[in-house]
Amino acid sequence: MSIILIGVNHKTAPVEIRERLAFDDAACAAGLRALVDGEVVREGLIVSTCNRVEILSETANEQIDLGAGRVTQFLDTSGNLGPGFLKDHLYRHTDEEAVRHLFRVASSLDSMVVGEPQVLGQVRHAYSLAVEAGTAGRILNRLVHHTFRVAKRVRTETGIAASAVSISYMAVELGKKIFASLKGCTVMLIGAGEMAELSAKHLVNAGASRVMIANRTEAAARQLANQIGAATVVPFEELAEHLFEADLVICSTGAPDYVLTEEHVRKATARRRKRPTCLIDISVPRNIDPATAKVRNVFLFDIDDLENVISSNIREREREAERAELIVQSEVMQFQQSLRLMDVGPSIGAMREKFQDVARAELARQRKKLGPLTKEQEAAVESLLMSTVNKIAHPIINQMRRLYGTSDTDAAPSPTDLFDLEE
Amino acid sequence: MRSLLLAVLAAYLIAAIHSILAFVNKRRTLQQVAEWSMAVGWVLHTGVLIDEWAVDGHYPLFGSRETLSFLAWALVTGYAIVLYRYGAQAVGAFAMPLICVLTFAAMLLGRARNPSAAAFSPTLLFPIHTTLLIFAYAAFFIVFMASVMYLLQERELKLKTFSAFFHRLPSLSTVNEIATHAAAVGLTLLTLGLVAGMFWNWSEHGKVWRNDPKEIFAALTWLLYFVLALYRSTANWRGRRAAWLGVLGFVLVLGTFLVAPLFGSYHVFGLALL
Repeated sequence: MSIILIGVNHKTAPVEIRERLAFDDAACAAGLRALVDGEVVREGLIVSTCNRVEILSETANEQIDLGAGRVTQFLDTSGNLGPGFLKDHLYRHTDEEAVRHLFRVASSLDSMVVGEPQVLGQVRHAYSLAVEAGTAGRILNRLVHHTFRVAKRVRTETGIAASAVSISYMAVELGKKIFASLKGCTVMLIGAGEMAELSAKHLVNAGASRVMIANRTEAAARQLANQIGAATVVPFEELAEHLFEADLVICSTGAPDYVLTEEHVRKATARRRKRPTCLIDISVPRNIDPATAKVRNVFLFDIDDLENVISSNIREREREAERAELIVQSEVMQFQQSLRLMDVGPSIGAMREKFQDVARAELARQRKKLGPLTKEQEAAVESLLMSTVNKIAHPIINQMRRLYGTSDTDAAPSPTDLFDLEE
Repeated sequence: MRSLLLAVLAAYLIAAIHSILAFVNKRRTLQQVAEWSMAVGWVLHTGVLIDEWAVDGHYPLFGSRETLSFLAWALVTGYAIVLYRYGAQAVGAFAMPLICVLTFAAMLLGRARNPSAAAFSPTLLFPIHTTLLIFAYAAFFIVFMASVMYLLQERELKLKTFSAFFHRLPSLSTVNEIATHAAAVGLTLLTLGLVAGMFWNWSEHGKVWRNDPKEIFAALTWLLYFVLALYRSTANWRGRRAAWLGVLGFVLVLGTFLVAPLFGSYHVFGLALL
C-alpha cells in the first residue's frame, strides 16, 4: 500500500486560494465519501485549517499516480478552480515523506508560529470526521494514532511550546516563573483594553483566582468584568489602595503620564510583606514609572522588554524545533518499520501453513506403509512432523521479520514470491 | 565492601548523567532513569553503611572516608526529599555530580584501620553529634543551591533577558520555599548537633566550649542561619537578601569543613574532617 498526502499550506498558497479550498465539517464528510471509493483511493482524511488544506489518502502500490490524480482532481473541482490551476501551489508527498509531513504538521513544526498548540486539535478533529465518514481504515488509523504519539512526544520532550510568543501570553509565563503556579493569584487590570482582556483570559485559564479591574470609565470596566467572570471593579481613584492585593498587574491605559509611581509601588510592596509583584506595562506612552523596577521584589516589564523576550523565545523555539525534527525522523523510521511488519505478518502465517500442509500431504502419501497404529502412535507421528516443520520454519520466520522489518523492502524478494505462496 | 561501594558509585553516576540529560532535554524517561538509579544507589549505600558498622564495630562516621561517604548518603536523602516535596528535578543536575565526587573520593581513600575509633567514645552522644551535623550540612547545601537558583533567576528577571537556564529552573517561589524550609531544617539539626557536641565534650572533658577553630566556625554558621531564619520569619519574602545569606552560610560551612582543620583543631581524628 502507499500513503499519499496532497495539499496546500500558508507557504505554497495565498489565502485567496486556501479559503476557496477550505472544507467545513459537512463538506469534509461529503467530500470524503465522494473521494474514497474503496478501489483506487482506499482510505482518506481531510485536514482543513486556516493555514492548510491537506488530503491524506491510501492507495495500492501500483495505483499511486492514479490515486494522486484523483485527489488533485477532487481538490480542483471542490475549490471550483480550473484544472491545472492548483498545479503550482500543491505539494505531493508519498509514503515516508507523507508520514514525515503529517508528523511535522501535528507537532506544529510546519506551522506559521512554530509550536502553536491548535494544530494538533485540528488534526484530531479531521480524524474524527474521517472515522465518522468511515474513510479511516487500517493504515490511516495506525498512522494517525502514531501521529498523536509523536506530537505528544515533541511537546513533552522539547521546549517547542514552552515559552510564550505573544504579548498576551507573556503574563502567564512570567506569572508562572515568579509564583510557580497562578492558582490563587490575584490579577489587577488597569485599563480595560483588548490586550488586557486577552491577557486576563489567559491568566484565568491558567488558574488566577481573582481579577480586579480599574478603568477611568467604569462602565467599560464593568462590561469587561462580566465577560471575564471572576472579576471585581475597583474605582480608578482607589487604584493605589488596592495595589497591594495584586500579584500581577497589567497596565494598558491611554493615559499620557504615569498611572503607577514608584511611591505607590513601594507602599504596596511594604504591605505585601515583600511578596513579589509582577508589573506588566503594555501601554505607550508608558503608564508605570520605570523607576519602580528598582523596588526590591518588583519585576517590571514594559512593551519593549516583552518584545525582546518574545523574540528570544522565538529563537529558542527554533532551536528546540531542530531537536523536534530528530524525534520526527526517528518516529518516521519506526512507523515505516511497523508498516513493513504489518505487511509481513500474514505472509508468515501463510508460509507456516504451507509448510504444515506439505508435511500432512507427505504423511497421507506414506501412511499405508506404516501399517496399523494405535491412537497414541498416530498422534506421535503427527506431532513429530509438525514440530520438525515448525522448528525448521522458526529461524526462517525470525530472519524474515528482521529482513522486512528493518531493511528496504525493495531489496528483498517478497515472501510471497520466495515461498511460492498464493495471495 | 569496596566493590559494593563501586556499585553505589555506578548507580549515582548513572543518576547524575541522566539528571543532567533530563535537565537539558526535559525528557521524562531520562528523569525516571535518574530517579530509579538514585534509589538503587541509596539502598546499596545504606547497606554499605550498615555493613561497615557491623564489621568495624563503630558507627560509620569517623574517619574522612566515612565522613565523605556518609555526607554523600545524607545529600541523596536530602535531594530525595526535595524531589518528593517540590518536584524540583533541576536540583539533581547539580547535586548528583557532587554526590558522585564525594562517593568517588570516599572510595579512593580506602578503608583505614582506625583502632581508636571503637574505643574512642562509649557514649551515644558522639555519633548523634556527628550525624546531626552531617544532615545539617546537607540541608545547608540544598539552601545554597536553591539560593543560587534564586539569584540567577532574579537577576535575569530584573535584566529581562532570559537564558536557556531560565526555562529549566524551578520558579522563584519554589526555590524560595525550598531555601526557607531547608534552612529551617538545617538550623534545627545544627542546633541539636551542637548541643549534643557540647554535652559530649562536657561528659568527656568537663568543658562545654574549647575555642577550637571548628567550634568557632560552627558558631558563626549557626549565628548566620539563625539571622536568616529570623529574617525569613519576620518578612515572608526577603528574596534576594536571604538568598545571599544562604550562599554566604554555605561558605562558612565549607570553612568549617575544610579550613578549620588547617588551624590545628582537636576535631581532627586522623584525616577526619568532622
